[in-house]
Amino acid sequence: MLVYMELSMRAGTAPICPYGQAGCHVPTLADLFDRVIQQSSRMHGISSDLHSQFEQYFLPSKNLIGKRKCHTYGILTPDDKENAQRLGREQLTEVILRLLGAWGDPLSQFYQSMSRDQNQDFNHYSSNKAMEISDMVHELRDGVAKMAEKMKLSGVLDNTVSYVSPESFVPFSTVSYYKRGELNPMDHHDLLHCFRRDSNKVKNYLRILKCTTLPGLDC
Amino acid sequence: MKKPSEAVLLLLLLFFTPHAKGTRFSPPGKPALTRCRSPEKETFTCWWEPGPDGGLTTTYALYYRKENSEAVYECPDYHTAGENSCFFNKNDTSIWVNYNITVVATNTLGSTFSDPVDIDVVYIVKPNPPEKLTVTVMEDKGWPFLRVSWEPPHKADTRSGWITLIYELRVKLEGEDDWEMHLAGQQKTFNIFSLRSGGTYHVQVRCKPDHGFWSEWSSTSYIKVPDYFHREKSAWILIMVFTAFIFLILTWLLHMNSHRSLKHCILPPVPGPKIRGFDEKLLKNGKSEDIFSALVVSGFPPTMSSNCEDLLVEYLEVYVPDEHELMLEEGKDLHDHCLKSEGSTSDNDSGRGSCDSHTLLMDKCGEAKEQGRQTEQEERPVETQRHQKEWNEDTLPYAHEDTVSPDMSSGRVKTWPSVFCPLPQYSSSPPNHTSSLEIAKQHCLSDSLFPPGSTSSYLTHPGHSTKETLGPSRWEFSLSNKQPRSLHPQMQTRQQLQARSDINLSNVGCEQAPAGLLPPTARPTEYVEVQRVNEEDMVLLKPVASGRGCGDGCPRLRQAEDYSKVKGVNSDHTLLLQREVMGEEAERCPCQDQETNGETDSCITSSTVTTTQKPPACNYTAAAVQDKMAPTVSGYVDTASIFTLPTY
Repeated sequence: MLVYMELSMRAGTAPICPYGQAGCHVPTLADLFDRVIQQSSRMHGISSDLHSQFEQYFLPSKNLIGKRKCHTYGILTPDDKENAQRLGREQLTEVILRLLGAWGDPLSQFYQSMSRDQNQDFNHYSSNKAMEISDMVHELRDGVAKMAEKMKLSGVLDNTVSYVSPESFVPFSTVSYYKRGELNPMDHHDLLHCFRRDSNKVKNYLRILKCTTLPGLDC
Repeated sequence: MKKPSEAVLLLLLLFFTPHAKGTRFSPPGKPALTRCRSPEKETFTCWWEPGPDGGLTTTYALYYRKENSEAVYECPDYHTAGENSCFFNKNDTSIWVNYNITVVATNTLGSTFSDPVDIDVVYIVKPNPPEKLTVTVMEDKGWPFLRVSWEPPHKADTRSGWITLIYELRVKLEGEDDWEMHLAGQQKTFNIFSLRSGGTYHVQVRCKPDHGFWSEWSSTSYIKVPDYFHREKSAWILIMVFTAFIFLILTWLLHMNSHRSLKHCILPPVPGPKIRGFDEKLLKNGKSEDIFSALVVSGFPPTMSSNCEDLLVEYLEVYVPDEHELMLEEGKDLHDHCLKSEGSTSDNDSGRGSCDSHTLLMDKCGEAKEQGRQTEQEERPVETQRHQKEWNEDTLPYAHEDTVSPDMSSGRVKTWPSVFCPLPQYSSSPPNHTSSLEIAKQHCLSDSLFPPGSTSSYLTHPGHSTKETLGPSRWEFSLSNKQPRSLHPQMQTRQQLQARSDINLSNVGCEQAPAGLLPPTARPTEYVEVQRVNEEDMVLLKPVASGRGCGDGCPRLRQAEDYSKVKGVNSDHTLLLQREVMGEEAERCPCQDQETNGETDSCITSSTVTTTQKPPACNYTAAAVQDKMAPTVSGYVDTASIFTLPTY
């Protein structure tokens, strides 16, 4: 319920009641899709802003490819349109959920690290943004889960989708990396780089999901 | 033979040396990747800029490495995208993967690597311009607007949700330089309002993925908006109305100017207080006579021509309390249209003069204004008050009139207010030119006297309405100088005790005094004072009221001259006075006797009958008449007064 309220607040629409109480408007699947897509788009925008801010402070590393590895690299994600379409709705939903789930803790750590670190040259704006995306990723994950439930109920999705705990996806190195609790600026930069990409994936996958499930005017 | 080969070698060397000095061969310069673009997020192309080639033919090669992989691949397609380009097709393109791209330039002397570039295809998307741009003119309640619609570029797959585009269009009028931008979001149609009628518009549209680059502008679409007359017609109508309005104003201004100054019209001068005849300069000169004479308005007392309504005054005489019953009684009688002479036996000092008579005004004068002039009038109800008021109103202007005050010195009985009514030029003219003859016309004006609706021109009684208001009007005597004029002939014939006042309640007299006569007050009783007896043994009667303690200007003391006709002299040398009612007006002059109270009923009618009181009723116990009766304050002919008159 809270998630829905939060989603609704962010999306700027009328309050909804997940259980269909009297007087409340029960959201349709299209409404849910719209809300989660808006949320993911906003999350990606904020992460892009943060990333570009980091780029200003640090010389962009030319050797990012070889050096950096995102902790979610273990999650297999389709890397082009055909693969994504070939994946099917259920698996696509699962990938989305996994991605979102994998970023909950790291982002919290990231925010805590940012607010803790006095040496950083970050302004208050960046710190707020970090907090925002940290919250958003949790809400989005819950929202997508609820949407998946609704899809299952309406028969759009098979029941093969299951919610998997995030820890299973995180590679060892990254987990230890982040769980150490000490993140240097390079870590911050890498983290943001990875998160920006993953949020873009989530947004794109959600859109594909919507247009395959509810083809309409927006697709 | 050796010499020619040597020469050739020398020549060759010579050739080569300059060559070698002129163009130095070197390895190629460093190429640079200028940009990489993906039109639909499925393929992408990279372009580079070749460096100096070092004088040798240089070949370029592009190598790339994918993220987290050590394998190096070469560009699969150098030609599709043109020169110095590398095209990555769908199979070779991976999204969300970092590409590390390097271009190598190679010539015989060496090869040079460019700086590597990292790209992620997701962030280099620049779509093609939208396609199938159409613009149509549509109408919304008479007002035109443009409807613009387009299609996404055919390569971009928005249908599956793989790519999301937002659009922007721009519009401008033909011939202008500034474009009007409109962000259309994700929609593929757009409406443009506020068009200029008859203009031609240029429309273009472009698109952008949510994170990427704007496309190029599409090809221009031209549209011409037809002329919309009704819109302009309304503007013309407005203009015409406005012009007409201005025209009207101008005409009015001119009109005003021709008649008088505009300023005078818009800001009329405030009238200042002004007393007619009052001349400040005279004041300064200091001669009071001049001043006062100047104040005498020729039109005063008002003549017939003037509106008598203002002057209509009714006088109501109020008696002191001891006479209260009398008054009341008389009042009742009056309502019966009877004149009563008030039994004024006891009322010697009432000071009522002829002023007190209750005279009626002509109808023309409007409502009768009754003037209760006595303070005793307070006993009267409303009517007296009204009378009082009117009395005051009326008397004030006349207060200083000469004619108002009785002119005792003149030896004639002055008639009462001609001032009050537009009596014909009467005001100060002596009523009686004949020295001996004074004719006082007695007007009995009273409401009660006149029948309602009486047409008497003068005595008009203001109508029955006033009758009520007048209250008890005793018979009043109003003396009008005017009337005497007409009456004079009559009167003069009588040589008797001429103070004979003809109680001409006749219409004649009454008529003559148009509306003018207003006895200032209603007097319950009328007293005729014997002014003197002239040499011809005439008793000159004079209205009494004058002496009552009122000064000259006492408004109340309108000296209405009351005339009573001498009926005769009886054996006892008693002067019998009689009032006569003659004429249409049917003024009723009740017998002067107070004793005739009872007779009033019979007296009053609108008849033209001349009625005379019964002699007996009118008999007075006469008293001996002195030769000369000096006017005294209290001198008046009482019912009890006795005249000794020479017999006719």
